[in-house]
Amino acid sequence: MNRFTFIFIVCLYALFLVYQAFNTITLEQQLVGASFFILSFGIPHGAIDHVLFFKKRSMTKLKFYILYIGLIVLFVLLWWRFPLVSFLFFLILSAFHFGESQFVDAKFKLRNFNPLLFLFWGLALLATLMYYNINELASITAYFQDTKDFAVVYNKDLFFYFFAITNITTLTLILYFFIKNQMSKRRLSSELFLIALIHLTFFLFPFIIGFTLYFVVLHSIRVMNQEYLFFKSEDANFSMIDFLKLLLPYSMLSIFFTSILLALSHWGFLKISIPYLSIIIISVITLPHAIVMHIFYNK
Amino acid sequence: MLLDIQVMRPDDYVGFTFFVGYMAMFAASVFFFFERGSVDDKWKLSLLISGLITGIAAVHYFYMRDYYMATGENPTFFRYVDWTLTVPLMCVEFYLLTRAAGATKSLLWKLIIASTWMLVCGYIGESFSDGTTAHSVTWGVLSTLGYIYILHAAWFGEVAQLAEKSNSDVVKRGVRTLAWFVLVGWAIYPIGYMCMDGGWLNTAMGWGSENVDLWYNIADAINKIGFGLVVYNIAVSESK
Repeated sequence: MNRFTFIFIVCLYALFLVYQAFNTITLEQQLVGASFFILSFGIPHGAIDHVLFFKKRSMTKLKFYILYIGLIVLFVLLWWRFPLVSFLFFLILSAFHFGESQFVDAKFKLRNFNPLLFLFWGLALLATLMYYNINELASITAYFQDTKDFAVVYNKDLFFYFFAITNITTLTLILYFFIKNQMSKRRLSSELFLIALIHLTFFLFPFIIGFTLYFVVLHSIRVMNQEYLFFKSEDANFSMIDFLKLLLPYSMLSIFFTSILLALSHWGFLKISIPYLSIIIISVITLPHAIVMHIFYNK
Repeated sequence: MLLDIQVMRPDDYVGFTFFVGYMAMFAASVFFFFERGSVDDKWKLSLLISGLITGIAAVHYFYMRDYYMATGENPTFFRYVDWTLTVPLMCVEFYLLTRAAGATKSLLWKLIIASTWMLVCGYIGESFSDGTTAHSVTWGVLSTLGYIYILHAAWFGEVAQLAEKSNSDVVKRGVRTLAWFVLVGWAIYPIGYMCMDGGWLNTAMGWGSENVDLWYNIADAINKIGFGLVVYNIAVSESK
């Protein structure tokens, strides 16, 4: 168990007690809580992509911003023309990104298998989250006019195969890495425990709570820690306050623009529902972020 | 004496675990006391503590079994008397294992206080319930704080750091295994706690209050005997 898993477990106990107290948390309360935590931790973890990029690669700032924003615009266009394809692409991209950040400290030497493990670990995570909450997910999707198209995805049999195949493949790959001496016994037990914990969390809690818990504690805080340690390794005097000062302006800017878009949707200027718009915003900023982090991890 | 024998239903899993728990604890105590003779002197105290943990539990299980058979109710009082004695003793095991690496008496007391705090709060939450959820949640939160402290100490705090400092790989592995017991094994108890009337698992999942003792008995068997066996394994390995 690492410190992030420890924080995750403390949050789980806190949630158990919240459920013990209230028995249920309404969808609105879940959305408010999730938005707060995702804006507080999720946005900042990707707010300094440009700083990280220039630490690893040399490129003119103009070229970087054109590429970064260009990717966002391209993905928006893809969403406009092919929403279902974009959604599936977003899931695969996120899966790889989640898996990569999970194993970045392991320094595996099986070059051909590394991407496979990253991808399947993330796919198993998303498949588990969706499989245990498929009914809830289907009802949320069916609730809004513009998300109804995604309902075709929520086929229980299809999801069972997706869930079973991704989880079995992930476990097989983890065991393969262990047999090939890429993973210690301690790491193996820690990874298996984490998978069991994630299953328990997604099984017990609603979709939004389960995802937020994973995304905030096991992904965002973990990535921010990796970023902080990187800056610290470059400058021993670099403190947590310095790191927060670095994150703050870019995070505020991102939150500001995200809020404007959501407000435009809320007041009807954008003919897209807030959940649908949220998925689009998250996915289009995930694309360049995942690429930058891939470069950051590999250099 | 034979006239007092109670009828036991074949599907009474709670009663079954009370009987199995009693015999398993008793057998484990005999084992640990006898095996004291086969380890080095420095490990004898650890094995004595292991034997005491299961021995005290065996005596309480004897009473709890009878109480349950006679009344069909949760023997909460005996349960907490047992835990109040045995759980701090488990913390003593952590201290004894890391003593060679420099564990101080203050660590011992911190662990004992945290474990006692955890149990006293749990006891108040379970036994003096006024029927409101607020009561069980408040005491549940307070009890969890004690647990989180011990969990942190075992994985990242003083205990973990002392184990890393120790020259023995066996001790490092042993403390790590005991930390797993605290993480996974001790986590079974809140499942029982939340099966109480008004608890989340009771209301949301329909797990009735009769399951409280089932979960507690399973957890006790895993933790008390398992904990002792890990200590025994370290003692035997270090005595070779």
